[in-house]
Amino acid sequence: MDLNFTKEQENFQIEVRSFLNENLEPQVVEKVKNGIPITKEDSEKWHQKLNEKGWLAGTWPKQYGGQEWDVVEKFIFEEECGSAGAPRIVPFGVGMLAPVLMKFGSQEQRDYWLPRMLTGEDWWCQGYSEPGSGSDLASLKTSAVRDGDNYIVNGQKTWTTFAQHANMIFCLVRTSNEGKPQEGISFILIDMNSPGIEVRPIITLDGSHEVNEIFFSDVKVPVQNLVGEENKGWTYAKYLLTHERTGNANVAVSKRKIQKLKKLANDAKKNEQPLSNDPMFASRLAQIEIDLQNLEITNLRTLASVENGEAPGAESSIIKILGSEIEQDIDNLTRKSLGKRAFVNEPDALSKGYNGAEVFPKAAAYASGKYFNHRKKSIYAGSNEIQKNIISKLMLNL
Amino acid sequence: MDFKPSPERQILFDTLKKYFENEYSLSDRNIAAHSDLGYSKKAWEAMRELGILESLIDPELDGFGGTALDISTVFEALGRGLVVEPFLEVGILAADVLSRGNDAQKSLVKKILENECLPILAHSETDTEYSKSFVETKLSVEADGSYKISGTKRMIKHASEATHFLVTCRNTGDASSEEGISIACIPTDREGIKIDSFATIDGGRVSDLTFTNVSISSEELVGELGMSYSIVSHAIDTGILAICSEALGIMERIKELTLEYLKTRKQFGVPIGKFQAIQHRMAQLLVEIEQARSSVINATIYFDDETEREKTISAAKFSIGKIGTLVAEESIQLHGGMGMTWEYDLGHYAKRLVLIDHEFGDEDFHLQKYISL
Repeated sequence: MDLNFTKEQENFQIEVRSFLNENLEPQVVEKVKNGIPITKEDSEKWHQKLNEKGWLAGTWPKQYGGQEWDVVEKFIFEEECGSAGAPRIVPFGVGMLAPVLMKFGSQEQRDYWLPRMLTGEDWWCQGYSEPGSGSDLASLKTSAVRDGDNYIVNGQKTWTTFAQHANMIFCLVRTSNEGKPQEGISFILIDMNSPGIEVRPIITLDGSHEVNEIFFSDVKVPVQNLVGEENKGWTYAKYLLTHERTGNANVAVSKRKIQKLKKLANDAKKNEQPLSNDPMFASRLAQIEIDLQNLEITNLRTLASVENGEAPGAESSIIKILGSEIEQDIDNLTRKSLGKRAFVNEPDALSKGYNGAEVFPKAAAYASGKYFNHRKKSIYAGSNEIQKNIISKLMLNL
Repeated sequence: MDFKPSPERQILFDTLKKYFENEYSLSDRNIAAHSDLGYSKKAWEAMRELGILESLIDPELDGFGGTALDISTVFEALGRGLVVEPFLEVGILAADVLSRGNDAQKSLVKKILENECLPILAHSETDTEYSKSFVETKLSVEADGSYKISGTKRMIKHASEATHFLVTCRNTGDASSEEGISIACIPTDREGIKIDSFATIDGGRVSDLTFTNVSISSEELVGELGMSYSIVSHAIDTGILAICSEALGIMERIKELTLEYLKTRKQFGVPIGKFQAIQHRMAQLLVEIEQARSSVINATIYFDDETEREKTISAAKFSIGKIGTLVAEESIQLHGGMGMTWEYDLGHYAKRLVLIDHEFGDEDFHLQKYISL
């Protein structure tokens, strides 16, 4: 067993660290570190900086502008970004659609869509869930019917993150009702500006707007926007979901959040002592820290097996369950650590133009909001119950 | 043995329940709860006319209730309705304090019922100190025998529209000492008071109040100088009983919503409530909610017993804190994405339920308190 990085990996780590140091904007880092949502503009500016360095899509092949990072380099990059408080790279294009296009798309599709992801010309969103098809995704009903050189798409998608920013969506659609539900699904790319598309916001319980409903009525989609073969979309979707779940350990982000939580607990007083000295609080915090240390190793073990050529299978489900629950535990304890201040909900308190009373500590501006918002983590990307089904089936053979 | 409420209280509960179902729309409530005022004056008026305030107040002060059972019954109904109007702050905390005061202060309770005043208790200070006796706001005695107070009160709900503040302060003793605590009842337009208010996650507004050399006359003290801890303590215990009961009403409503969802939401061709993994989680919620109810009943039974009150109150607040967060998180998870939306009722109930743990001491605080008693 050797858990050390190689000399090259260590050098890479130093390079990432100094890049982040020089290029991150302090006010954006302040928002990230205090758990406050960043704007579309903040994301786009950061994507652009990373792209100039060639790091927006580090795992991609060099021919498409990537660095061909292996799993360890990807891990180092994400760890450093997480601990520095860098904005998360919006994953729908570079992290999710791109691997599908590279594996299943046509050369023409790769040549056209991949560069546009890097330049930011396209902002992608993901059209998977439907009102009647969440955990049972394969029952989806949005239909695409061939009509000459087009598909005509009708139906509804929901929980679509950042559809309000997106100009493109990749969708699972039904092209056949023959056989098993999984066998009639296709994967297509749709221009959000097409006539017949309507986006309606879904406001979440914390009052924020991230997700949307999308209605399609007789939307024309050129047949060249079909990815791979008709009715093979389920295979591509599963491939994509595996990619979606591997990045879910969030160890560095959780570590950073624990540091922040410790600071909050040192500054707060309970029984006229620092809250961090309170045995019950200390016990809660220590348990989370231990869980996170364990996850860090569990995650590295998964990475090592991928590095050795084993494909991530149900292990990514383990990571997804643990990563989401540990982050929720931290958000829960952060809220608790603020005491009565947890009533406050002023997510704009760090933005320009906020003219309300100063929120102190700053993390209180959205700590409860964040806690409630992050309940989504055990629901999205395949709910944790679905992950347990996968583990039961693939690892336990039950 | 009979745990059923008396017929009168059952009628009161049913009347309120029906009223909230038919007249107190949750979407209107949400708009008002997150407005600059933090509640609806119209709804406040309408509910006052129902006699809700009177049911919280002793007959001696023109009410027709005020016992622990009355309070528990009414607040469970208020919880079901997710009522954001200031019944806790005015009808319980302020009224309970003022009822121990002089005649002028007692008459303020009657004025509450006549809608002529809106007094608010300004007690809590440091965000994470939950001890009832924690008071650093300083009361100093001037040469002419009058008083001045200086200090900061934090996260005071519904303070921005108040007509009077009931400010706890101390002239002697350490920050957590029960001795040396006084309460001053002053109009909110008194010179030297600054109000900073904030929007909240669960509805209503909260404020930080800064008092800088605010003048007080001796007639404005509620109780004797330095001897008012027991008044504050009783008011807060009553407040805890009220919000624990509120939490019960919320949990019962969450249980109904979740059960309905499990029966109607279909995935894989069947209602998701048919899956055993889901059934067991829902069954566990039911078990926990029954325990929560028992903790509140226990606190109600012993409420007027001076030796047992604090212990059973802490036991109830601990149980509600622990179970409330579990119920909120599990019910959201069982709903999936639907539980995350503003448009659907569940999330609003869940937010209030979790934030109840941040009022008057959280589960950790009350567990430690229970151990110490």
